[in-house]
Amino acid sequence: MVQIDLAEIPVRQANELIRKYGADGEDIDIINPDARHHVGVGLTDPVTVRVHGSAGYFCAGLTDAAHFEIESNVGWGLGDNMYTGSVIVGGNASAIAGVAIRGAEIVIKGNMGSRAGQVMKAGTLLCCGNANFMAGYLMYGGRIIILGDSGERVGEDMAAGEIYVGGKVQSLGSDAKMGDTESSKIDELRAFLDRYKITFNGDFQKIVNEGKKLHYKTSERPMRSLPFVGFSGKSDYWNPKIQEDIHIKSQIGRYRVRGYGGARELPHLADIGFARNISGLNEISNPVSKVEMRTLIGGKHGAQPLDLSMPVMIAPMSYGALSRSTKQAIGIASSLAGIAENTGEGGMSDAQRGAAEQLVFQMLGGRLGWNIHDMKRANGLEIYISQGAKPGFGGQLMAKKVTKELAEIRGIPQGIDLRSPSRHPDILGGDDLLIKVEEMREATGYRLPVSVKLGAGRVRDDIKIAYKDGFDFVELDGMQGSTGAGGAEVMEYVGIPTISAIMDALDGLAEIDADGKIQIILMGGLRDGVDAVKSLCLGADAVAFGNATIIAGGCISCMQCHVGQCVTGIATQDPEHEKRYRPEIEAHNIHRFLEGVRWQIAALTHALGYGDVKSLNRDDLVALTPEAAEITRLPYRPELREQQHLSKAV
Amino acid sequence: MLLPAEMPDDTDDLHFVPAPCQVACPVGTDAPSYIAYIWEGKYEEAFEAITATNPFSSICGRVCDAPCEPACRRVQSDGPVQIRNLKRYVMDEIGDRLDPPPVPVTQKETVAIVGSGPAGLVAAHDLSIAGYEVHVYEMTDRLGGMMIWGIPAFRLPPGVIDEDIQRLTKRCPGLKIHLNTALGDGVTLEELKERHDAVVLAIGSWWGKKMGIPGDTDTRVIDGVQFLRDVNAGARPEMPETVVVVGGGDVAMDACRVAKRLPGCKHVKVIYRRGPDEIPARAIELEGAVKEDIEFIYNTQQTAVSPKGNQLAITCLKTELGEPDEEGRRVPVEIVGSEHEIECGMIIASIGQQGKCAHLDEKGMMLSDRVRTEWGSMLTDDPKVFAAGDGAFGGSTIVMAMHHGQRVAYYVKAFLEGHRDPMPYRQPFRTRRVPLAQDLEWEKLPLQEPAFHGLGANPIEFPEIEDTYGSDTARNEAARCYRCDAETGTADYSVRHREDIFTMARTNPLDERSHATMLARRLQPRDNPFPDHRKATLDDLIFLPANLTRLVIDPYREACRIDTELGAGRFVMEQPFIATGFDDAPGQVREAIAEGLKDFDTPYLGVRALSTDVPWLQLVVPGQIAPSTDAAAQIHNLGHEFRPIETTRLTENQLLGLSVSSPDILEETISYALAKKFDILLLDGSGGLGTPWAELSGEPNLTILRDAVAILRRIGREEEIDLIFFGGVRSGTDTAKLVALGSMAVVLGVTLGLAAGAEIRDRHDMQFSADRDKNDRAEAVAHILNASAQEASMMARCTGKTNLQNVEPEDLRAITIATAKATGIPLAGTL
Repeated sequence: MVQIDLAEIPVRQANELIRKYGADGEDIDIINPDARHHVGVGLTDPVTVRVHGSAGYFCAGLTDAAHFEIESNVGWGLGDNMYTGSVIVGGNASAIAGVAIRGAEIVIKGNMGSRAGQVMKAGTLLCCGNANFMAGYLMYGGRIIILGDSGERVGEDMAAGEIYVGGKVQSLGSDAKMGDTESSKIDELRAFLDRYKITFNGDFQKIVNEGKKLHYKTSERPMRSLPFVGFSGKSDYWNPKIQEDIHIKSQIGRYRVRGYGGARELPHLADIGFARNISGLNEISNPVSKVEMRTLIGGKHGAQPLDLSMPVMIAPMSYGALSRSTKQAIGIASSLAGIAENTGEGGMSDAQRGAAEQLVFQMLGGRLGWNIHDMKRANGLEIYISQGAKPGFGGQLMAKKVTKELAEIRGIPQGIDLRSPSRHPDILGGDDLLIKVEEMREATGYRLPVSVKLGAGRVRDDIKIAYKDGFDFVELDGMQGSTGAGGAEVMEYVGIPTISAIMDALDGLAEIDADGKIQIILMGGLRDGVDAVKSLCLGADAVAFGNATIIAGGCISCMQCHVGQCVTGIATQDPEHEKRYRPEIEAHNIHRFLEGVRWQIAALTHALGYGDVKSLNRDDLVALTPEAAEITRLPYRPELREQQHLSKAV
Repeated sequence: MLLPAEMPDDTDDLHFVPAPCQVACPVGTDAPSYIAYIWEGKYEEAFEAITATNPFSSICGRVCDAPCEPACRRVQSDGPVQIRNLKRYVMDEIGDRLDPPPVPVTQKETVAIVGSGPAGLVAAHDLSIAGYEVHVYEMTDRLGGMMIWGIPAFRLPPGVIDEDIQRLTKRCPGLKIHLNTALGDGVTLEELKERHDAVVLAIGSWWGKKMGIPGDTDTRVIDGVQFLRDVNAGARPEMPETVVVVGGGDVAMDACRVAKRLPGCKHVKVIYRRGPDEIPARAIELEGAVKEDIEFIYNTQQTAVSPKGNQLAITCLKTELGEPDEEGRRVPVEIVGSEHEIECGMIIASIGQQGKCAHLDEKGMMLSDRVRTEWGSMLTDDPKVFAAGDGAFGGSTIVMAMHHGQRVAYYVKAFLEGHRDPMPYRQPFRTRRVPLAQDLEWEKLPLQEPAFHGLGANPIEFPEIEDTYGSDTARNEAARCYRCDAETGTADYSVRHREDIFTMARTNPLDERSHATMLARRLQPRDNPFPDHRKATLDDLIFLPANLTRLVIDPYREACRIDTELGAGRFVMEQPFIATGFDDAPGQVREAIAEGLKDFDTPYLGVRALSTDVPWLQLVVPGQIAPSTDAAAQIHNLGHEFRPIETTRLTENQLLGLSVSSPDILEETISYALAKKFDILLLDGSGGLGTPWAELSGEPNLTILRDAVAILRRIGREEEIDLIFFGGVRSGTDTAKLVALGSMAVVLGVTLGLAAGAEIRDRHDMQFSADRDKNDRAEAVAHILNASAQEASMMARCTGKTNLQNVEPEDLRAITIATAKATGIPLAGTL
């Protein structure tokens, strides 16, 4: 038994000590806790931590196997994302107690705040008093026991799991219903109460999912895409695509869902040219040896930065949207190229971890596959706020792809049309976000860079919050970004183009005199080293490729990712289809693509007269269309659109 | 100057890239198009695509070496599209009854072609199409060369060859055939040069090579090519019990399979000096031979033949693969001490062929086994004499010989037209731009195998080894095509971008020349996607999502209010939609629309009420029908000209509205409407409200909404009148944009018509198909309303709103300058 006095040392130091004592198998007493945040986060040893007083936000968060006893009250996010282990709170708990737990037992002797057990997957959350509104909001599994009253809208949009209420059920949430109480389950429940020495003699009512929203009622006939020229640019107003949309929607009675990225032409990096005539490419020999390209990303707060051999990363894409072997191939390619890969939503597999030398682990609102162990073995942590393809909305994964294995890694019921929450339970504004970032840093000992993934919208404002909340870098995703599945209209009409996004970001930072003070990784519709160099010239610190790497690895751009039976075995979880994909071959194809990108970046940088990619700047660019000129404020040189031709370059 | 570009070629089309199969085809066959036509059941169109560059399509359907198939990208997934079998299907289906139109002779020059194999006849075909009179000199009694003499009937029945030859002769009436006329025997080169303006030597590779080992002069050691020729002439010789075939090429495959079918033969063994991965025979022939119980002995090199009793013994050494030779093939190295014997009754040597011609040899025009020919010009030593095919470049495949025929025809044409230094020949690629097969199963359908019969019941009759597809199998196989040639559905990853990324992913990182070429390609700018004449359109408005700023908790999934009130709460709608446009529709359609609108109590705007139980917003044309007490609203249609409307509410809650079709009369109309306490101002962006399907004119005029809002704001009276927009609203997204711009609700016309089964005719009219029943149409209308409502609420939700009516101009950005101007919404990234 050791003692830590929070009146004497700061939480950061205390957490390091807690983990150290934990590793030694010592139980810990914490005195003078003063309702500090993040007490005990990141602990993964089966020791007991007693908090003599009240704790603040995220007490016992991001832990596994440990036992916590808090004498008085706790702030919000109690036991955040806890795997196994237990927490006993003597007093009350604030909002989202037991958020995203996956096996833990949480006992609150008093009342608990709103949205308790939000997105929980497994384990038990017991509240001996009353619950506030929306207990069990979006829960995927596990058990909530409320001995007092349920609060309003209990079980709102729960996908699975059970909620038992001993007092009054004040109102049911959407897609929740009263279920039958089986005696065996009640016996288990009473055994649980006995174990924690809690006496309750009343009866229970049970709330379960009603099943109205777990599946789209009608499935959409998979159509192969119409050529984009038919509905883009100069096409008719009532073009074939518009007519197809109307016909399909009048059959299914709901909005359309599809995969891939936006379909239409938008202002793009392609509308920007180089101010200098790029010529004599044939004479450039081994430009890679002549241009410094190594780029460190994410070290500004003292974390170990990502060490990139060129200013390029792999964009976040999930195992789930993509097959296991595709993620493996991309991981291998990223290692061969000396760049970083990103898990996207949905967890980190051993194969992915093994394949990618540098791997960023992404956290979404549903906390699918999120856990302390994978956090610790990641090379970077990323909070997903939104993505370019469907900003403002959560991910969608059609039932066909929610296989047993995938459901396990994500901790969700198998075979549902998974619509991930669009918001984080504990990020309702910039101030929450700040504390969330701190929790992640605390849990991993400040070793890892923490980034934010932002779909481009009100970037000018968002980037200021990202900067002030202490992120190490921003992954900024324009509306040309792609996805495994999303609302078709959202993909086309929500968000701003990638070139607008970078301009807004730079403007936003300039407005608060923070130019260059947070690194920006630009993505969304980038296809080659040319796009990369233009992005760097505009002011990005690095770029990320998503779809382009998929294509390099054999994707044929049929845009049927959402269907789940990808013909090339990429966007599928069906073993019959996945076996069509040969990761060992495709990894090399993707790697060769990345090497092509490297050569292009080096050759262009060299041709522009520099020896370091960091020298690239806006003066190297001109705008080739009126829109690009107005968005980027680059000089408008339409005549160069005609001149920049093949023969001049080689 | 004769350019390859004068040949039909579509490679300049920015939305077309020749598919790998088409590139792999030596004659550039537009396979993706004919495959797509097969799925559509358009066999005549498929026939056109197949035969356009290939006069031997029926033959190729059976026996083409099909380099297209290994090139097919589906190889990596679940097997290549069976392109050859699909061609065979079309040719069997209609090949005997369709003839391309005859092409008359239009040129005065004539051309002699020596040899009527695939190279010679394709050259004859192409030159005939170019209008020349072509004379073919053939030493045997039939046209076809190795196609007729070299391929056994169980793979290529004679009728199939006849079909192609007949089609060719019908198509080329200027083609003169001289059979039984050998060069140097029936006719001399001098005579040909005298009679004709150019000569093409396509003499083929007619004679088998000797093995060149001790004992190979034994009469039981025969030449594979000669053996096939005899059998194709009708011979069915008695064979010994065991036959050994030496070689691993296509002749060896045919020879071993023929031997197996002949009387007396029980065992056939094939000896090949490299391994199974190196054998040059086409996989399908090899598999066929294996299925027919032919034994393959790999890594074995024959060194001598000697009699052994009644039999022959072949002395052999085992081999292993050594270093690659200059062609990159690994050389078999004999293993010392591995000597062994293989016994048999006959040896068929099939180790390669050679061209021979004593007449040309005398003139010094021959190399050891072929006519000396320059690939770049297809010329021999004689400036008027060209050569092509196996006889010029060594043994190859039928389709490669056909390619030679195309090439030589190109250079002969250039010569006859007087071009001494033509552009190098380049394979042209065409596309028929066939839409993609909309097959639900295309991702799943497995490779369709035709039934294989092998030797058949009576092998000596040489029955065909496999069947032609049936129509269903053909359609299923056609559905499997990826359509690598076709434009994709996404501008960012168009077919050209995708192919460039593919190419980058297959380029050796050290190959700087390829990197430079690719970079030059990638540096080419695209066309301006928003040229000056692009109009302002709803398409070019986008929503700003709520991310870190404007974070909201509760709107999860699609929840967002979309109910709408008009006239200060006197008229309440579940959704912000009003229907219009069915005043003159057929009775059944009107009933169906009325039924469909009931689900959400959607009102109908029209001169006539739709039904008593659908709320009616009466469109009153001044001076025509009087306002009705049945109407929930009177909307007086001013059109393009303002005039005062004196009217009163006929019922307590009846709403009064004005409709304007021109921004020019907004000032007077608005001040009048406000003075007279009208509830609604209907803004007609189509400019033709009240005329049938006015929305089909195209992009609605958005300035009318912008200006109306500006006027109301200027005078600070936005809350006093409700704006409704009509014109080109196609979705919930369009709706949300119009609501953000200031409209309370929108009017749907063409969209409902399309949902209810109408088709757009001639860009200005809609016609209802007769084949949909009332319930179908009604359900479709309810569905499109529900889907549109979902979309509208999604858009609102993504901006962080829980009520559609709270979406505002600040939630929008424009992506084009034209749209920014017409709506007053800033360009994305500029504010």
